[in-house]
Amino acid sequence: MAGLKTENLTRYFGGLAALNRVNMEFRENEILGIIGPNGAGKTTFINVIAGIYLPTEGKIFFNGQDISELPAHKRCRLGIGRTFQLVRPLQGLSLLENVMVGSLFGKGFSQREARKKAEELCEFLGLRDITRDITRMTALEIKKMEIAHALATQPKLLFLDEVMAGLNSDETMEMIDLVKRIHSRGIGIGIVEHVMRVIRELTDRVVVLDWGEVIAEGPYGEVSNDPRVITAYLGEEA
Amino acid sequence: MRNLRYLLYIAVLIILLTLPLYTGVYLLNVMDIILIYIALALSWDMLLRSGQISFGIAGLFGVGGYAAVLLHLNFGINPLISILMGGVAAGALAWLVGMAVLQLRGMYFAIVTLALAEIFRVIIRNFPDLTGGPEGTILPSAIFAGNSTKTYWLVLTVAVVSIIASEIFRRTRIHFALTSIRNDEIVARSSGIDVFKYLVFIFVITSAIQGMTGGAYAHIYGFVSPEGSFSVDFTLLPIAMALLGGMHSTWGPVVGGILLGVVSEFLKLQIPYGHLLVYGLIIVITILFFPQGILGTLGQRLKKTGNE
Amino acid sequence: MNLLSKLKQSSYQITIISFVLAIILAIWKPHVLIEGIQRACLYAVIALPMALILGIVGIINLAHGDFMMLGAYFAYFLNVYTGMDPLVAIFPALLAFFLIGIASYRAIIKYVLGAPELNQLLLTFGLAMIMEQLANLLWTSRPIKLPLNYVSSSATIGSFTFGTFEFVYIGAAIIVLSGLLLFLKRTSTGQAALAVGQNPRGAKLVGIHVDRTYLLIFSLSIALVGAIGAIFMTRHSIFPLVGAPFTMKSFCLIAMAGIGNLVGILWCSLILGLAENFVLSFRGYAGWADILFFALIVLVIMVRSHQRQVK
Repeated sequence: MAGLKTENLTRYFGGLAALNRVNMEFRENEILGIIGPNGAGKTTFINVIAGIYLPTEGKIFFNGQDISELPAHKRCRLGIGRTFQLVRPLQGLSLLENVMVGSLFGKGFSQREARKKAEELCEFLGLRDITRDITRMTALEIKKMEIAHALATQPKLLFLDEVMAGLNSDETMEMIDLVKRIHSRGIGIGIVEHVMRVIRELTDRVVVLDWGEVIAEGPYGEVSNDPRVITAYLGEEA
Repeated sequence: MRNLRYLLYIAVLIILLTLPLYTGVYLLNVMDIILIYIALALSWDMLLRSGQISFGIAGLFGVGGYAAVLLHLNFGINPLISILMGGVAAGALAWLVGMAVLQLRGMYFAIVTLALAEIFRVIIRNFPDLTGGPEGTILPSAIFAGNSTKTYWLVLTVAVVSIIASEIFRRTRIHFALTSIRNDEIVARSSGIDVFKYLVFIFVITSAIQGMTGGAYAHIYGFVSPEGSFSVDFTLLPIAMALLGGMHSTWGPVVGGILLGVVSEFLKLQIPYGHLLVYGLIIVITILFFPQGILGTLGQRLKKTGNE
Repeated sequence: MNLLSKLKQSSYQITIISFVLAIILAIWKPHVLIEGIQRACLYAVIALPMALILGIVGIINLAHGDFMMLGAYFAYFLNVYTGMDPLVAIFPALLAFFLIGIASYRAIIKYVLGAPELNQLLLTFGLAMIMEQLANLLWTSRPIKLPLNYVSSSATIGSFTFGTFEFVYIGAAIIVLSGLLLFLKRTSTGQAALAVGQNPRGAKLVGIHVDRTYLLIFSLSIALVGAIGAIFMTRHSIFPLVGAPFTMKSFCLIAMAGIGNLVGILWCSLILGLAENFVLSFRGYAGWADILFFALIVLVIMVRSHQRQVK
């Protein structure tokens, strides 16, 4: 269970404000959707929360602790996990070992324990043949591995960055089910998506970003009818 | 299968240990050089696995040599202990350099290490009273009074230590950390890996090995000098060996070390001036045509035939 | 913009401080000022081609200083066999090394452009070793020098004498820097090169021939470095390893100035050149001048990484 709060979170790149005074709150154990047109700052938001970039202004609070200046690896150990939009699996390691990287360093397990944890997660996500080379995996399997890796760090709050991209209808349904099961384990989820069906089914609340600012907030039904959101962007109905 | 491999290791170890019983002094001396280069090649490869290149092998090697000799001469420290202290000195210097420079990695780090040998040379020349200046310092006697068997065992120990270190780096979580950092630092950081700390750690350990090797070398040959102890040989050959044999592995640098070590003995006699040319060529050719090195390319071929 | 607000800007502060320091030096140690500037220009003129390659082609060339060494030997042998004055030899050197640059690019460099930085570093390191050892093999490590009269020409102002030949370096630096800036900013080829440096893919999309640009810039850089070797030859004795320190000092300057900042390299060279000569002027501490660039580059890296952290 975890509460994350951002206060006037701002991040500049050169002269451009990728995030501008973003105030967002993750209540305990909710699934929060983060949507917005391309370039709205969704991935930047995740990157700043995860610690890949430090905020230019503003603060981030996790479980009451100010984590704004903490380096990424410390935030990971505190319980903030994330997946990457463009997955780059680690060459030279098998599927299982890729997942193990998460369990080895997120919580400091021994190699044996880390391996067991990773195997459990692969099982949970439906990944087979886990000792194989990572060069021969389907798109769905790569995404699952990515999620397994993030889960291996034992997050209390997990950010999923466009995990549904490139999946067909069946695969999307499988993934939605997976996310629900992850959520039922007591992990809060922030999900960035373009596929609105996913957002509609999964999320309790939705936050809409545009040009780095929050322009709307609330349950999907409300937000999707908000004229500002419609003007800015309403994604494709899946 | 596993037991067979362990038996093989033990057999080879026994052969190596008992080598002095049935070979002459010349061969032992050649083995000395080969083993020293193997230790250097391995330690260089260990850092390479994290994605960083150090061109400063000669620098740390020489520092270890000087530390070992000076501690022994000025403080009467036992030669073997002084060799270990050579490793400590090199490690400490690496810690300083690493803390300062490893935040900006890649070419910044590589070029700083390139300058290390020269910097240490200049520093040593500037304190002639302490270090013997440009002519260097000669030890009254080589370690073990020049007994080639004991010398050989010393060097064998150093090489075995580096092999063990390399294997530790391959079998523990360090392997996972190194591979992650090398592949994608952002993913590594998001997995909870403190990249900077790991890099400094690895740089220190590998530099300590290089310093210890330098200490052994200095005691065996009985002298240190700004030109000799920091010679570019000690950077160039280990790199060529590791690349030729196959990087990112333990046995690659070993194979490369044996091959090129033997070749080096030949070349030194044929082309005394500029035989190092060959090693430069090897580096260029390996990078261009088979970056995996001998073992790597063999490994890939085996994998391919395995799949068919 | 009144005077007071101008004074508060840091660039003005730096200019004023440098001016004051220069005047102090001129009075206290005039040798340091003159020779420092001369040396600085030598560093600058060697560093600029490396900056060109790094900024546009994106490759770090660890063999850079060794090309200069080859240029020096080239001028030497040209003089020995044809009696050509090394300063005149600049022109054949430019041509010869342009061709060498083309050959190097086609045969070797091209293949590592897409490869990770690691490969580029190792490859150019190997190249540097090959060049140095080849020189060692062919010409031994014995330093050689040409006895030229005009290099020891000097002038006297008041009570102090200084070498005047070294102003050649200042001239060379000004010519090369302004030449490069004009080329990059005013010619279409140069502007294309800048575009390629910033965004190779985008440049390709608008029809710029990226590979040819790389070839041109690389060969131009090698040509410049070879020609500088010829100038260098006149005043210094040369030996196979003479170029290596310049590779590192050039990189130090580029790191200080920032990649892409050509004019900055000139200012940073002044800092390095003056500082080195300053240290050299104190008897007993002369040995430390060679470490200055190292201290500088470590300092720059520490400052930069701190800046990056804050970002």
